[in-house]
Amino acid sequence: MITTIAIFLPLLGALLMMLLPASFGERNVRYVALGVAAVPLLLGLYIYLAYGANLGAGALSQDVTWIETFNIGYRVGLDGLGFGMFLLSALLTLVAVVAAWDVQRNLRQYFAILFLAEVGMLGVFAAQDLVLFYIFFELTLVPMYLLVGFWGDENRGPAAIKFFLYTFLGSTVMLAGFLAFGILAGTFSISGLDAGAGLGGTAQVALAAPILLGLLIKVPAVPLHSWLLDVYVSSPTSTNVMLSGILPKLGTYGIIKIAIPLLPQGVQPFLPYIAALGVLNIVYGAFVAFAQPDLKALVAYSSIGTLGFILLGAASVNAVGLNGAVLQQVTHGLYSALLFILVGVIAARTGTRQIAELGGLMARMPWAGGLLALGALAAMGLPGLAVFVSEFMSIMGGFEAYPIQGALAALGIVLSAMYLLYMLAGVVFGPVERPEFERVEDAGPVEMTAIVPLAVLLVVLGIFPGLLIGIQRPAVELVLAAIGGS
Amino acid sequence: MGVVTAETFVGLIPELVTLGFLVLVLLLGVFNPQSPNQTAALAALGTVAVFASTVVLLASGFSGSFFGDGFVVDNFALYFKLVVSASAFFAVLAAARWAAGTGDAPEYLALILAVVLGSLLLVSMRDLFGIFLALELATIPSYALVAFDRSRRESSEGAMKYLVTGVIASAILLYGMVLIYGVAGSAALADVAEVFTGQLSPVAVLGLVLLVSGFAFKLSAVPFHFWTPDAYQGAPTSAAAFLSVAPKAATFAVLLRILLEGMPEAAATWTSVMVFLAIATMFVGNLFALRQRNVRRMLAYSSVAHSGYILAAFAALQGSAVPTAVEAVLIYSAAYAVMNLGAFLVIDLVGEDSTSYNGLIRNRPGIAVCMGIFMAALVGLPPLSGFWGKAWVIFAGAEAGTVALYVVIGAVVVNSVLSVPYYFGIVRNMFFEEPKEMTEEPKGTGAVTASVYVLAAATVLFGLFVGPLSALARASGLL
Repeated sequence: MITTIAIFLPLLGALLMMLLPASFGERNVRYVALGVAAVPLLLGLYIYLAYGANLGAGALSQDVTWIETFNIGYRVGLDGLGFGMFLLSALLTLVAVVAAWDVQRNLRQYFAILFLAEVGMLGVFAAQDLVLFYIFFELTLVPMYLLVGFWGDENRGPAAIKFFLYTFLGSTVMLAGFLAFGILAGTFSISGLDAGAGLGGTAQVALAAPILLGLLIKVPAVPLHSWLLDVYVSSPTSTNVMLSGILPKLGTYGIIKIAIPLLPQGVQPFLPYIAALGVLNIVYGAFVAFAQPDLKALVAYSSIGTLGFILLGAASVNAVGLNGAVLQQVTHGLYSALLFILVGVIAARTGTRQIAELGGLMARMPWAGGLLALGALAAMGLPGLAVFVSEFMSIMGGFEAYPIQGALAALGIVLSAMYLLYMLAGVVFGPVERPEFERVEDAGPVEMTAIVPLAVLLVVLGIFPGLLIGIQRPAVELVLAAIGGS
Repeated sequence: MGVVTAETFVGLIPELVTLGFLVLVLLLGVFNPQSPNQTAALAALGTVAVFASTVVLLASGFSGSFFGDGFVVDNFALYFKLVVSASAFFAVLAAARWAAGTGDAPEYLALILAVVLGSLLLVSMRDLFGIFLALELATIPSYALVAFDRSRRESSEGAMKYLVTGVIASAILLYGMVLIYGVAGSAALADVAEVFTGQLSPVAVLGLVLLVSGFAFKLSAVPFHFWTPDAYQGAPTSAAAFLSVAPKAATFAVLLRILLEGMPEAAATWTSVMVFLAIATMFVGNLFALRQRNVRRMLAYSSVAHSGYILAAFAALQGSAVPTAVEAVLIYSAAYAVMNLGAFLVIDLVGEDSTSYNGLIRNRPGIAVCMGIFMAALVGLPPLSGFWGKAWVIFAGAEAGTVALYVVIGAVVVNSVLSVPYYFGIVRNMFFEEPKEMTEEPKGTGAVTASVYVLAAATVLFGLFVGPLSALARASGLL
């Protein structure tokens, strides 16, 4: 029940935002939205503290029959695979509300739509039924389309529909796989479908193919990523937080939670290719990021690149790799949200996102510049920061299963260090590029409120990764048991 | 001929009520021509009475067959009677003000009730010629409905095309029925079933093909769909809304009955025809809808596409998948009725040119959100009604499990994506574009606006009722 409440509270929040009178001041609207966004996060933290020890293999579940004929149910519950992302979704929504300073018009509607998307995100990470999973999965689509299409920059219209078409294609293909799977197996309950529910190898491969394809488009895995850059670059900062922090994980989480444990024989032949796609993401993302003149595009490609570690770790199907992948979902969300917000701050202060035009910001913006450096160091996997732990585990696991892919992924870390250091040198350090930069202000208290928690978490999880790994380990073991890995 | 008893009249209550109100509406028009609103209220009351009496029949578990098994009342028929009468209610509400403006409100409303009567009879018929008569009873008034808007040339033009193709379709259908009658020596579906076994004679196959072609015309399936866009564009909005939903659902229902009761043994033959019909109809409907700037025309092609999705369920009517496929037709019909009626009613409120939707979210946010819901539902986004229709089609296809059916499922997936640009073109106009400078006076009445909200709520909450709906469909007499 508490899970259901946490999922649907933002829906009430969305209604509340719409009911606020138009005379309500902009500032007050922001405070109300902050309050609404805080509630699911507090509930999530309460769940972590009160039930953390039992969460691993699954807890706080609810099972209500929905469509008896096909054994479809409203089944939700939290487990170690999804809880980290569940918590992160609530956290990043709160961060996005704070970071919505560049949203000026129709603020109430912006927050209402953001909360609607949050329902979908929370729901995906708690769904224990294939149909319900798909419904929550798709519930994020229209809100994100509206957020980009209404509040984005000049190019927002084409970017929004491109995003919609590509990801809808992916999710519909996935849906067809889900529905056929449930019909063949006689249930849609995720626990009832464990290890293929007795389906033969051929059937599993035939089902895994559309499901994996759909999920990989959502991630997106290179070369299925062409929709992504436009929508990232066109979005307002706070939408970027959700787009990069949560949405790709809907895809990777689907692979870890559904494709691998439910169709173990089906995914087996695809795993080496998924690992290879992960490496392709890492290497391609790094190279293309290097060539970007626009700071936001660079961060976008960096974000695509490091998603590759999740794919590599998941495809390794061993304890180290899978744990790394599950953790990387959270750490990736933390660092990419941090970087996108800082790009927003810098662009707002300096009036440009072109790396060539920026430079020497450290002198006038020590906080923003310093935190950008922290985020970049996290992105390149500096030991002591959270991303290092998860990337290292993913590479270890990947190397164990696929030595070539693992070795190439390690090379990817070097590549990412190159472009990130180059970026830092061009933006933060060096001589002050333009005289007007002498007058820019550092990040203010509102901006810092959005940024600091992410930075703190990157450090804390870097030192104590056990805070999350402890919860996810039992769930990862169940996945391994389903696929017969070690 | 069976004996007519009191029970016969009970079974015919929905039809008799419709007939009674039809006469009352015309009489009121004669004796009190200055009160179009009262006439509309009476017609609306009639549809409510039909709905209520059907609910009572359904709840009391009434079933039976009359007139020598030519007319049957089972849950299957009653289900479609609910869909027809509920759709008619919204059509009458939508028609009220427009019809009053024409000065011929009683005639217009009586024509709607006549289509209702034909559709109600249609879903209960179990005899080829009875089916033909009921189908014509539903179709002939609809020609007049399409032609009713004398202020627009498109109305007459659309009606003319509809009439000519419709009459040809009827002729083809009748010819097919006659051939089947010739083979079976009887028009009763039960007798037809006995000859449609084993190796079919060439005459029987020809009869089947002509019959299916005739129905394809009525259902605007490709390649017999050409009348649809012109007829829907020309027709008064309420007529287009109603015709795209109620008689069409009834026609699907009776086709299902003919195929399942009249020729179950020949399923292999007609399901393979349905595979091609479904795929072609989906693709043609969606591809042509992409090019439309007129929302009415777009919804006409959209209705062609949705016929294709329903025909995909027909393709799955084989083996153990039959119950699910029947369920898919039932659920899809209801799902389509709420979302499509809603979308057409919004045309009445906003306009038929796609640019008239520009910036609607600022001028009339409530209506814009409702239209957004209808468009998303027509795409098939969860948890809206259209999603459940498509989900059931895919369920049925997966249960049938043949290669052909997986191809059909693939076509459903591709077409869902293909339909996004035109449905969401409207959403883009409503949400992202600047409003046109000229702010028109709001059209339509409070009743239409209220109907739009009710239908939007039904579209959103459809998923909550899909469980019971599925149970009801399972218990329908046809399985």
